[in-house]
Amino acid sequence: MVIGWGTGYDPLHVTPVFLRGLEDVSRLIWNPLCVQNLTGYLVKGALTPPLEEGKKIGICVRGCDSRSLVALIQEKLLSRESLHIFGIPCRGTLDVRRLMNESGLSQIRSVTIQGDHLVVQNDEEAHRFPLERFLARRCLRCRHPNPVIYDELVYQPITPRTAPEDAYRDVEAMEARSLQERHLFWSSELDRCIRCYACRNACPLCICQDRCIAETREPRWLTQRVNLPEKFLYHFIHALHLAGRCTECGECERVCPMEIPVTLIKEKLNQITRDLLHYEAGLDPEALPPLLTYNPNEAGI
Amino acid sequence: MRIGVFVCQCGTNIAGTVDTEAVARRAMEYADVVYATSYVYTCSEPGQQEIQRRIKEMNLQGVVVAACSPRMHEPTFRRAVERAGLNRYMFEMANIREHVSWISTDKEANTRKAMELVHMAVAKLRFNQPLFSSKVPINKRVLIIGAGVAGIQAALDCSDGGLDVVLVEKNPSIGGKMAQLDKTFPTIDCSSCILGPKMVDISQKENVTLHACSEVESVSGYVGNFKVQIRKKATYVNWNACTGCGECVRKCPSRKAPDPFNEHLATARAINIPFPQAIPKKAAINRDYCLHFTKGKCGVCKKICPVNAIDYDMQDELVSEEVGAIIVATGFDLFDHSVYGEYGGGRYPDVISGLQYERILSASGPFGGHIRRPSNGREPRDIVFIACVGSRDASVGRPYCSGVCCMYIAKQAILTRDHLPDSNCYVFYMDIRSPGKNYDEFVRRAQEEYGVQYIRGRVGKIYPRGDRMVVQGADTLLGIQVEVEADLVVLATGVEASAGAGELAEKLRISYDQYGFYMESHPKLRPVETNTAGVFLAGACQGPKDIPASVAQGSAAAAKVQALFARDAIETDPQVALVNERTCVGCLKCIMVCPFGAIQSKTLRDGSIKAEVLASVCQGCGLCNATCPPKAIQLQHATDNQILAELNILCA
Amino acid sequence: MDQSAASGALVDSIRIIGFLCNWCSYGGADTAGVCRFKQPTDLRVVRVPCTGRVDPLFVAKPLIYGADGVLVSGCHPKDCHYAVGNLYARRRLEVLKNFLSFMGIDQRRFRYTWVSASEGQRWQQVVSEFSETIHAVGPNPLARK
Repeated sequence: MVIGWGTGYDPLHVTPVFLRGLEDVSRLIWNPLCVQNLTGYLVKGALTPPLEEGKKIGICVRGCDSRSLVALIQEKLLSRESLHIFGIPCRGTLDVRRLMNESGLSQIRSVTIQGDHLVVQNDEEAHRFPLERFLARRCLRCRHPNPVIYDELVYQPITPRTAPEDAYRDVEAMEARSLQERHLFWSSELDRCIRCYACRNACPLCICQDRCIAETREPRWLTQRVNLPEKFLYHFIHALHLAGRCTECGECERVCPMEIPVTLIKEKLNQITRDLLHYEAGLDPEALPPLLTYNPNEAGI
Repeated sequence: MRIGVFVCQCGTNIAGTVDTEAVARRAMEYADVVYATSYVYTCSEPGQQEIQRRIKEMNLQGVVVAACSPRMHEPTFRRAVERAGLNRYMFEMANIREHVSWISTDKEANTRKAMELVHMAVAKLRFNQPLFSSKVPINKRVLIIGAGVAGIQAALDCSDGGLDVVLVEKNPSIGGKMAQLDKTFPTIDCSSCILGPKMVDISQKENVTLHACSEVESVSGYVGNFKVQIRKKATYVNWNACTGCGECVRKCPSRKAPDPFNEHLATARAINIPFPQAIPKKAAINRDYCLHFTKGKCGVCKKICPVNAIDYDMQDELVSEEVGAIIVATGFDLFDHSVYGEYGGGRYPDVISGLQYERILSASGPFGGHIRRPSNGREPRDIVFIACVGSRDASVGRPYCSGVCCMYIAKQAILTRDHLPDSNCYVFYMDIRSPGKNYDEFVRRAQEEYGVQYIRGRVGKIYPRGDRMVVQGADTLLGIQVEVEADLVVLATGVEASAGAGELAEKLRISYDQYGFYMESHPKLRPVETNTAGVFLAGACQGPKDIPASVAQGSAAAAKVQALFARDAIETDPQVALVNERTCVGCLKCIMVCPFGAIQSKTLRDGSIKAEVLASVCQGCGLCNATCPPKAIQLQHATDNQILAELNILCA
Repeated sequence: MDQSAASGALVDSIRIIGFLCNWCSYGGADTAGVCRFKQPTDLRVVRVPCTGRVDPLFVAKPLIYGADGVLVSGCHPKDCHYAVGNLYARRRLEVLKNFLSFMGIDQRRFRYTWVSASEGQRWQQVVSEFSETIHAVGPNPLARK
């Protein structure tokens, strides 16, 4: 089986496709609307049947998705040998909601990237926009457009959009605010949370699924009461469970129906692990996530 | 649950600054509390009887005692509730003495705090479950790693006690560093004369299995039931056949093999028996120097061996042993004296280490016990000893005192003056450390009776002049620079952890300090135990030690093993981690972090992977619990629900 | 009500939660008690076997729900009763410490430290300093949500 992207219910929406034979290959597509990180299907899929002996599963990954694969391999949740990885250098994917809301266009037929521009074709004509205007936030700060692990690279590698030192500019912008402003910001953002758990379900590294402690009674970390502390604690649980593991694929934020910038929380934790423990998740398949190990000699903490 | 609360006044220790009556009254308002009282001395016999009476009378299912620290009386009260028919874990303590009444005189604040602590204890107790310990049988065999004097002593004591002993030694012979020594301080006993009989004893004990030329490959299991893999290195000589006649050694044409037993002052044959008193006295081939292996020809030893013991095709062999306890006695190594470039150790043949000088003094050594200069074989006249080479020097990463050097240079100086009455001996030292029975007297004899000249000060530099060495240093007592021309310079090289100590510690899951010495469980009260149950320490692997201390520790470790084995089974602590298979997602992060190897994975019939705790290995730290994302692994008696219950009281 | 009485009432209700490992810091707190070293009364101790047991969420939850401070104390690094539990804890808690203020929680409300069973005096100092800090930071605004 090969997992890739295919045409969805309208030209703006791409859907994951699961190819079971050669005849399915024509269903595969690649364009800036291929927004989903498909690696989650490898570890939490009822969709992916158990592998037959000696068989591999093929998967299409962008740079960010490939880091999820590395993280899953590190934690032995996937074996590298069972995968055939089609790596796709990615110039960025779109924030479809922003495109629909802000472009003022309807009846869109196709979108393509041409250099620094996005060309949107609708029934009437082709419209050109600066690409950055509609790129997803995760793509605007992308440092790894090229897959870090693959068996076949589908296109030529491309230059990262963001220098490593700019990786956490959104975090830094938030930190320029006062403690109280940050508190107000998160209170109002997280207050919108409806605890639908879409963020958790889309995350390839959130492996607990229906055993997540946000929902279990044994032990009982959270109640079903809808109030701000419960929402705060839920997002703390999600974020701290990803500390030192999150590869910033941004899926949690993309799928949030309330448009809460939940990836930003994990970005802060990643900035901390980078600065404190000199670790970046999802790059080295041999490395151990830093909170699952220790160093007796580390000073300064 | 029906809970009873007993608030102890502890005379006036608690009641003086806490309103215990008010605390008891308030406790009646907490959920599930059906009885609460204040009592003058709860831990006293009548106090305990009162608890037991109320348990029966009120049909209590759980008890909270608010009193002193649980580190003090938790076992007392657990036994008390158990006598009344409750499970000992249906009990909680609130510490209102050390943490409340003794640290503040503000009675109002203290009383409020005591109430909250009692409330937390009650809230936790509501989630307590009866826990039961299980019994695991003990395999009454002991593994001893390292057969120096400490390991030998431990092995003999265990063997005398009737235990089966597995003794593993990495070198071809047992005896360790002591076998290399000439004489021992402060009695000038011949080292091999006092060690030799013990070595022979080892070889003759029927309940001692000796694996020489062997190393521990891996260790699994836990106290009472360890499984150990031992790698027997290929010696290319069938030791079952070899009689140690030494014919092969005499005929071997390859004469340039290193001779570690003689500290490289001589060379050995490629097939060799390390020394005449070796146990086991068997030959072994050094394949780096054997002409059969290097050139593909020769085969002399194979031709002449009267018992056909030579086996060029021999491979390393892995042997499994099952034991109930392990004594680690891996000893020490010597500091590499070439680190001090200014002394020229390793560069100048007449600047040697303390152990090299032992070999020179020894009758079985390279010069047959005659003191000679390694450079030209002549007798030296002026001999300089330099103390603290690789000891008490932070600049070479060895800030600690090696403990034995002051004594062994005094001994070597005395022996030198004995052998060569016309010689002059000088000792450069920082301080003299001689705290032991007859030790200081011994050093004085060196100075006063044997005329050894002690110069207090560091040596700055050693360099050759003609065929002699010039030792430049300071005499800090006279405040002058001194220069001594010497024929031979002996560096009192210090003690360091044996190479590979850290690696072995990882296999055994015991801790070690920054220098590689193994950590005892408590520096004063548990000096031969480690924090891993069933693993004990003896000798210099724990820190620099002389022979009497090493022997004492060998015996102490043996006594600990015998005390452990005096029982037939170990009762396990039920406060261990437990996996809820329904919520375990099989991510196995618990296995990655467990410091004790107490968790393993298992595959259920439906193919799903789950974690499983080996209750008798688990030490109950709860790291797995903190790590587990879905909290499927719970530390019994400190579960998430129990801790959350306590927190909820404080956040309400 | 005058100003001082109002703030007095608030200060009285300061609540600090302490997670103390059974082997070192709980013993250190006992030692401080035995020595009658006077300490502020704001601290409520939760006894845990090891700081390795302290999931950072145990620290986060009370701070989110309105506790004024959380103190975690264990054996000194390399002296852990369980060999390395505190070394894991050190990393996890340090990450948490750096994270709290991003979410709008004053990171001064959380401190972790190491106190051995013999260090009664040090325990007194740790508790007094931390309590002083929390009184300076003031009651947790989240408590009044």
